[in-house]
Amino acid sequence: MEIMSYTTQDMWTWWFALYLFLGGMGAAVIVVSFLTHMYLREEKELVMWGALSGVAMLGLGSGMLFLHLLHKWAAIYILTPWGILHKPDSWIAWGSQFILWLQIAAVLFALPFMVEKPRLLRWPIIGNVLKMEIVRNVAATAARFQTLLGWVAIITGLGTAVYTGLLLQSFPAVVLWHNPAVPILFTVSAFSTSMAWLLIVMYVFIYHRVDHTIRALYERVDIGLITAELVVIYSFFNYTLSGSESGYRSAELLWNDSGWVLGFVVCGLMIPLVMELRCVFGRWTGKVPIVTASMLVLSGGYLLRHYFMAAGVYAYPW
Amino acid sequence: MTRYVMVIDLNTCVGCNACMAACSLENQTPVWSDHWRTYVHDRESGAGNSVRRHFIPRLCNHCSNPPCMTVCPTGATYRTSDGVVLVDESLCMGCQACALACPYKARYPYTHADIKTGKEYYGALRRKAPSMDKCSFCHHRLKVGELPACVRTCPGGSRMLGDLDNAAHPVAELVHNGTAKPLLAHLGTRPNVYYIPQR
Repeated sequence: MEIMSYTTQDMWTWWFALYLFLGGMGAAVIVVSFLTHMYLREEKELVMWGALSGVAMLGLGSGMLFLHLLHKWAAIYILTPWGILHKPDSWIAWGSQFILWLQIAAVLFALPFMVEKPRLLRWPIIGNVLKMEIVRNVAATAARFQTLLGWVAIITGLGTAVYTGLLLQSFPAVVLWHNPAVPILFTVSAFSTSMAWLLIVMYVFIYHRVDHTIRALYERVDIGLITAELVVIYSFFNYTLSGSESGYRSAELLWNDSGWVLGFVVCGLMIPLVMELRCVFGRWTGKVPIVTASMLVLSGGYLLRHYFMAAGVYAYPW
Repeated sequence: MTRYVMVIDLNTCVGCNACMAACSLENQTPVWSDHWRTYVHDRESGAGNSVRRHFIPRLCNHCSNPPCMTVCPTGATYRTSDGVVLVDESLCMGCQACALACPYKARYPYTHADIKTGKEYYGALRRKAPSMDKCSFCHHRLKVGELPACVRTCPGGSRMLGDLDNAAHPVAELVHNGTAKPLLAHLGTRPNVYYIPQR
């Protein structure tokens, strides 16, 4: 039977795009900051900012997903560790476990630094919690297992970043989503946005407390990630233009929309790439250009997921 | 082993929507939200003197390789030994991933608000919790030897249910000899609802 209609879905919209964005970026922020501290240079401030902001992003994203559930009590089945044994073929089941253990490992990894931080101890509620005997004991124990906790966070963080793409890939009816490049694109974007966020943190909040070489390294890595993202986007464009009508219509929806072309491709990828290149080659100095470029990368990261959700075209034989 | 399949003859479907009415009453579906377990699409094709009208009934295809079951994180969607894909509403958290995974637009949300309205609409509502909902081939009827409500109601005999593993059954014959064809077979879902195309 012939295909007679094409349509997009209206169940997972902007709030789900925000979940994918915050989930991928939050996980990558934790992975990048922990790897930096463990294998490049001791950066306790970066770890604390990475862990706390990453956990906040993951919490906010997961919270949005939770609010949208029809039957919230049933979420207990994916939060228990044995849930994954029951449904090992479901990416949401894996993703929920990754996010849960990532948040726990990230907080425990950063806790030994937090209980020693005078400024944090002066905060109204958090300071009182950090001064509690039990929290100090947990921090002392966590300090002994910090490498293990770091690797738990890195593995589950990588899993979370990849999962955000694997989830969309598991929907066979939509050509745009059901292909192996989606997890690659979403993972590259997650790490690019995480670099952007950490650059903002390092330039705006902890400029004098982080070594300049880390900032310089992040800028260079982000240039590589944005370039990789542009290559994957270009290959997507070619892929969707031939092969199936559903893919072609997705391409039409994306490339005829100024939000995708100007918002994501131009302002979210190309302009920040040029700005970061000028900063790296010393043409532009100061904080403003790199912070502006990073903010554009962040907005691009959200727009990518927003338009990807909106442009998934279903082909129906009715 | 029984393996249920449905064959729909598009030549005898007259678009009366009796199947939709029978299904909604049998399964207490939230029709006020325009959500149906089965829906008959009314389409036109061609132009001028060659214009044609098509009635295309849609329902869950009870796939042998159901993507909705794979994506379900809690195991709420499962497949019975007789090949029917069902939803355990007590396990379903309503993330709606199954609805996005389904290529046949067979799933919809049965919300808290729908349950409230359903109690007034149907009186004694069997459903207790919100969840994703879909056609069950009226599994509760199959278990006692009755046909699904839509099959029993169809005035044109357009809908037929049978056992694919029983080669002598007329429905199985229609499938095996290629008269009835599945929808979107290229997606690899191995659907168990087949259609006899319009001549």
